Amino acid sequence: MAEADGGGDAKAPLCSSIPSGKDAVWFDVSSLLHRACHDLRNDELISGENFNLFAALSALEIMDPKMDSGIVSTYYSVDEAIENGAAPIPLSFDRTSDIQCVIDIMDHFLACEATWHKGGSLAQTVFSCIYLLRPERTSSHALLHSFCRVIRATCSALVSAVSEARTNEEEDLFTMAYGLPLKVNGDEKCLSMIHAVDETLCRQLKACKATVSKKTVLEDVEPLQIHLDLEEGFCKAVLCRIRFRKHFYHVLTCLRKPQGRGLELAKKHIISCLSELDSMLKTEEFLRQHSACGTVENEDEKTTASGCQPVGFDSTLNSRSAAPTPPRAIKLLSWKRAVDYFRKLLHDLDVICSYSLDPVFEGALRFVVDVQKFQPDLVARAHIQLLLVQDGKLYGRESLFAVICKAALLPEGAKNHDIQKNESVQQLGQLLITLFGVLCANTAWQRRKLGKILQDWQIIYVQLELAFRKEFGETASTSVEQDLLLKVCKHILIWVEEQTYWIALRFLMLGFELELYSTDEYCMVYWYIYIILIKLAEKTHLKIMLSNDSSRRKSKKKKDFVKDVVKDYHVPPAVLFLQCYIHISQGLMMMLASLRNENNIFLCQGPFNTEQERFVQHFELLQKACLPDHASFFSFTETVANTHFSTLPIHNCFKDAQKIAKELRGSFANDPDRLGELRQIEQVAEHNYVALNLLCRLGSLEPSLKISFDFIHHPHFATASVKRS
Amino acid sequence: MALEFDTSDIEYMSYSGEHHLPLIMNLVDQELSEPYSIFTYRYFVYLWPNLSFLAFHKGKCVGTVVCKMGDHRHTFRGYIAMLVVLNSYRGRGIATELVSRSIKVMMESGCEEVTLEAEVTNKGALALYGRLGFIRAKRLFRYYLNGVDAFRLKLLFPRPEPDYSDSIKSIADESEEHGDGMPPEERIIQ
Repeated sequence: MAEADGGGDAKAPLCSSIPSGKDAVWFDVSSLLHRACHDLRNDELISGENFNLFAALSALEIMDPKMDSGIVSTYYSVDEAIENGAAPIPLSFDRTSDIQCVIDIMDHFLACEATWHKGGSLAQTVFSCIYLLRPERTSSHALLHSFCRVIRATCSALVSAVSEARTNEEEDLFTMAYGLPLKVNGDEKCLSMIHAVDETLCRQLKACKATVSKKTVLEDVEPLQIHLDLEEGFCKAVLCRIRFRKHFYHVLTCLRKPQGRGLELAKKHIISCLSELDSMLKTEEFLRQHSACGTVENEDEKTTASGCQPVGFDSTLNSRSAAPTPPRAIKLLSWKRAVDYFRKLLHDLDVICSYSLDPVFEGALRFVVDVQKFQPDLVARAHIQLLLVQDGKLYGRESLFAVICKAALLPEGAKNHDIQKNESVQQLGQLLITLFGVLCANTAWQRRKLGKILQDWQIIYVQLELAFRKEFGETASTSVEQDLLLKVCKHILIWVEEQTYWIALRFLMLGFELELYSTDEYCMVYWYIYIILIKLAEKTHLKIMLSNDSSRRKSKKKKDFVKDVVKDYHVPPAVLFLQCYIHISQGLMMMLASLRNENNIFLCQGPFNTEQERFVQHFELLQKACLPDHASFFSFTETVANTHFSTLPIHNCFKDAQKIAKELRGSFANDPDRLGELRQIEQVAEHNYVALNLLCRLGSLEPSLKISFDFIHHPHFATASVKRS
Repeated sequence: MALEFDTSDIEYMSYSGEHHLPLIMNLVDQELSEPYSIFTYRYFVYLWPNLSFLAFHKGKCVGTVVCKMGDHRHTFRGYIAMLVVLNSYRGRGIATELVSRSIKVMMESGCEEVTLEAEVTNKGALALYGRLGFIRAKRLFRYYLNGVDAFRLKLLFPRPEPDYSDSIKSIADESEEHGDGMPPEERIIQ
């Protein structure tokens, strides 16, 4: 592109630090650039057609500390840092201060690791450690060496778990390992190394305790450091730190065992991890008291228990080589916050490990939704996904077609039907895998993806219908075969419809969790939720009736069958559960509509558009997928227009919901999650019933009344509160 | 904190040349967290000077709005890049007036919609845009460098009834929207 012309003030090429490679030769072009610059005045730019916003934003202002991370680097390279004594080995010739420094490194690693999990880049966090970047250098220091190995092995395991799960969201830096030494020969033996260190420490601890109590020591053990009175404290501080690493690595390995076989063992290691974290916190006081440096006062800045700055870390080291975009300075989590983060992560992983691996689709679906309520971070979410789908099967055990058959309430034998070889049926299986993946993503991304996959579910329905018709004509020759095929097709189609409405409902509900709706929009949102729920309940009911119908037909004569239906028909609990939601959303929608009509509040008015545009934008994806048919802004306004406090039996909506929720308790006696949900529903219904009564009595007569909606009892169904302003 | 001043003393001006550039840059630098190079400012004010406005109080620049418009996946779309009002001048409708002027020009220029991003914690901005008819179309996970989520806000202008007859095609055309090259910005506190 440019040549060094050798003339003028061009000095000897700078290339001593940038050696020529196979495809690249480096020249100093400073003088050429210098002359070219004379043609431009300050801040001018040459704009080409391809100069777009992205190009403008990518432009860096050299030497601007906000943008040019290069200028704040301390060292040019890792080697230069080492030459300057930034990462000595041993860390100190004083063995006590050596051990103190190692403990600080261990703590700072924890802060780095948590920051990485929370969205920082590996290069700027964990791998800002010079010891980690030069694996061979630490070999003479058994403790530091084994610790670095287990850290690298842990990072490597997590990068592969998250990459495999593909839960990592766009722009997530988690899996970007650039050219970092993530996989180093010998790291796979980290556990045996750390185990050996653990044993030595145990002996040291035992020896120092024996000396203190004046007992004779059986073997000659060299102490960890030189001050006998501090020996126990330091031994304990190191022990809990390395044991935490050991158990944490075990947790990750157990979680990856096929078909969830390691979950039980993982739970045990999780308990150990949590107890080691507690022990670590207990060592804080000791470490702070005996720290050899000036400590950081601000708790939020402290990345070590002792409060000392760790030796051997430089977050600017990788900034030149590592990032695709100029990295900005990142703020590390404090050591305390890092401990909290790991506690939360272990809790989330424990929830995952406690799952029964219920091979029923709905169970798996509810499991993911329930775990998401704890707002797990990326690492935990990746592990849910890895557990759910392995080798294209649910938990690596159940084929997706078998899962679909069961979910569609088909008899056991149906899962062997040849129809599973049909291309559309296989595509349906793929949609299921995608759905699981989407449900494991962070809720913001999840909602966007759910909106988009609705179309796929609409399309697969049509494709399946066509495919089934074709199969019917081609393969089923006897009436028995025809009957069976017809049954399989009918069940699966209804289930696909039900599932589609379930996705639509989750899409709408997540909008509340993400705070996407303003109070003015609640009325239309609850209206939409209401009509989606009606369809969902209808499909669920149909699915259950279809299956009851078949089993009854099998066991009874036709005459008895008709009689029985009339005599002992009960609406199934699953449908009644949805009925509760229907009543609540209808009640809320009508209460909001009355407030709009009578008090002129919660109206969507703006200078540039109308409520219709808001409606179109919020529900565009549902409308495009015709979910449900004929739902339009017009039907919404029609419903809302004639709603007044006086003219509607709206009181009953909340009362009805309350009544059903109470009755349903018995049906879900063994399901604490559902019982909790029912309790929440009852509370929402009760509070709204009271608020509504008050509004009906005072209503439009009282302009001083202040009505607000919040989510204190349920994340999706609002509770109204009425106050006098 | 708020200054005593008469809102009728605020003068609004469309961007009218190089002398306005340092005023805009100073304000944005002062009030927004994201750093922008001069090229970013030039990109906006040179290509769409008619969409940038400044507010002055007795000769002092106290607020500004910087925007763009163009085709975005078959839609002609306006985009509000930066909106800033000096802290002591907030709460008196200056931001609303500035942004309304830009939106009006966008509407007259044939835009179908206007978008922007705002931090989820920026209640002032969210309320302001809500009043103008923007909806929170999606939440963008950890959008800003400081790790905070953003809302993508959208204002749709009235248009003829949408036709969904070929909706499946139009969805298939749409690729993932997250990385559409829009800059993280926009912070006003009312």
